[in-house]
Amino acid sequence: MQPPLVRESHSVALVGPTSPSQNAEPTIGQPLPACVEAALWHGDQLGGAVAEVLGSGFPSFDAVLPGGGWPCGVLTEVLVSQFSIVELRLLSPVLAKLTQAGRTVVLVGPALAPHPPGLRHDGVDERFLVWVDVDTPRDRLWATEQLVKAGSAGAIVAWLPLVRAEQIRRLQVLAAHCKGPVFLCRPESAARDSSAAPLRVLARIQTDWQITVEVLKRKGPPLEGPLQLLSIPGGLNTIMTPRLRYPSRLVPQVFPQEPAHAVDSVVAAASVRKRSAAEPQS
Amino acid sequence: MLLPPPCASDPPLSPSPDALRAVAIWALQFTPRVTVSEDAVLMEVESSTRLFKGKRALRDRVVAEAAELGVAKVSWATTSLAAHALARANIENGFKKPLPSLLDGLPMECLSAVRPHLTTLAQIGCRTIGDVRALPRGGLSRRFDKQLLQSLDQAYGNAPEAHVWEVLPDTFSAKFELGFRVEHAPALLQGARRLLLQMCGWLAARHAGVTAFTLRWWHDSMRSKDAGEGGAITVGTADPTRDIEHLCRLLAEHLSKVELLAPVGDLELSADTVHDQAGSNGSLLPDPVHDGESLHLVLERMAARLGPDAVKRCVNLEDHRPEWMAHWQPAAEPLPRKAKPSTELPQPTWMLAKPLKLAVRNHRPVYQGELQLLAGPDRIEEGWWDRDEATGESRHVVRDYWLAESKHAGLLWIFQAKLDDGAAWFLHGIFG
Repeated sequence: MQPPLVRESHSVALVGPTSPSQNAEPTIGQPLPACVEAALWHGDQLGGAVAEVLGSGFPSFDAVLPGGGWPCGVLTEVLVSQFSIVELRLLSPVLAKLTQAGRTVVLVGPALAPHPPGLRHDGVDERFLVWVDVDTPRDRLWATEQLVKAGSAGAIVAWLPLVRAEQIRRLQVLAAHCKGPVFLCRPESAARDSSAAPLRVLARIQTDWQITVEVLKRKGPPLEGPLQLLSIPGGLNTIMTPRLRYPSRLVPQVFPQEPAHAVDSVVAAASVRKRSAAEPQS
Repeated sequence: MLLPPPCASDPPLSPSPDALRAVAIWALQFTPRVTVSEDAVLMEVESSTRLFKGKRALRDRVVAEAAELGVAKVSWATTSLAAHALARANIENGFKKPLPSLLDGLPMECLSAVRPHLTTLAQIGCRTIGDVRALPRGGLSRRFDKQLLQSLDQAYGNAPEAHVWEVLPDTFSAKFELGFRVEHAPALLQGARRLLLQMCGWLAARHAGVTAFTLRWWHDSMRSKDAGEGGAITVGTADPTRDIEHLCRLLAEHLSKVELLAPVGDLELSADTVHDQAGSNGSLLPDPVHDGESLHLVLERMAARLGPDAVKRCVNLEDHRPEWMAHWQPAAEPLPRKAKPSTELPQPTWMLAKPLKLAVRNHRPVYQGELQLLAGPDRIEEGWWDRDEATGESRHVVRDYWLAESKHAGLLWIFQAKLDDGAAWFLHGIFG
């Protein structure tokens, strides 16, 4: 059984680069053996895990991430339209898992103050949470770089509204020694710029407790269309009623308008008066 | 026996006893057998080579650290007098050739015992130690003193050597006169590093770590009248450490905030709080946890630069008012062992520092579009006993909290409060 397998894999490796036309249809003639098929990476497939990955807590999202989760030891960009409305809804499952395992999560320069009772509802243990309260872009970058360089934090979540591409590249090089994932939260406008981060996702909020996630960049083919994820903030489960489950059905299409009590234009007032005078006649 | 005698300071000037003593204290971390002899510090390191991972590793470390301490030359030989002579002749390795052939070629003034008789010996045609050694022993002992023959024998290893070993002091305090006047505080680090290196050596010899140390500086005599004598900073760390790199970085962060009133001439470093700290166990397998800088060291360094309040950890308090539910304290302060219980009612993940008053349109609160109230009210009425001491304001809170959804701003935690002029809506948190 063994010798033919070896011979065939040799023939694939030699023929492939010399005649590109055979690349297009590799299975014509004889099908590839299973072990060769497994070792081959096709350009249209999702890349495998380079380092350790951590499950994101959303099975459908894990399925589209290379390796099946958030990668450790590289940068991950989370692009949002406004800070602190969606990042933690996407990240809190992985942060919860890390803090429960006793790993420290460091938040660098979030726009608002973290509220531990709320985080605890999401499963994040606040004893393993460190908040680095920095404001200027320089301090944010410095603090992030120090943490990434040391690489000993369970996870680093840094809010970097103003950062240049070469600074991201520098962080990406340093992140190779990092044991945990490094999330950079950046504004949505950064999606147009190139970035050295191997994984970039764009998160938006939706109604009905959903968030949409678009994978802008990953190892593998670009993901078509956004992904809908159900993310109910922790603690709201206890008060969730069937009626509350779909808030979109509660929203009236047009908010009831108040009747106008006063008319301030002379011309308009005259027309209103004329109309009200005409009405009893008709 | 392996003896490196670091000749302290520059060769033309004889080093001061204080400088030699400082080098000796640093050297005590390598071996307990350290002695000061004339212008050199001698240590016997044969028995410590295994602890410091072999002769080459030990030699590299001694040479690198000695250079920072201002040691002019480090030499190695099997006897202390031979090592001393080699250092004077600027030869490092006394193991390259057999010792007698190395020593024979050295100028005779390298040996201290020759120096009183230098003229006489030169006049009878001696140039090297080998020439002196070749003279008949009987004549040597009759015409010169006992010292000469004895130290020749000791240098060649034919007679035993005896030394008075240095004793490690109980407390550490070292002074250093800077080579030039320093006007900017960060530049003090160069001199302070030398003192820190000594302190780390002293700590390693005592198997201890430091949690607080003080750096003092004295302005030079040409200062202006209002500048004062000098200043001091005390640097603290959370865990005992004797890691020179960490202490240096920590001191650098503190020094970057100091402004010197006058040029500084002298430095003094003292270890204030010292705790026992065992050395790390050598491991056969590489330990994956310790290859980076550990997290608390990074946080400590960040707190030193950004201020202690910038790096925070949280303690939950048992209060129903959201502002006082959590207390953020500097990361260096200890946390309670057990997590305190917290409320079971829904709470947002982000809080605004100060509630934001919302506009009202059609009797509905507005924040980036009309808000849809989803759940509520959650009435918080508490704190009538609480009062802000500084401003005298009451912290009594009467609020109805609602969960609201905005099309653009997500899930919000808003409240309605009674004011003097009717009710008003405030945004207080975000479920993000």
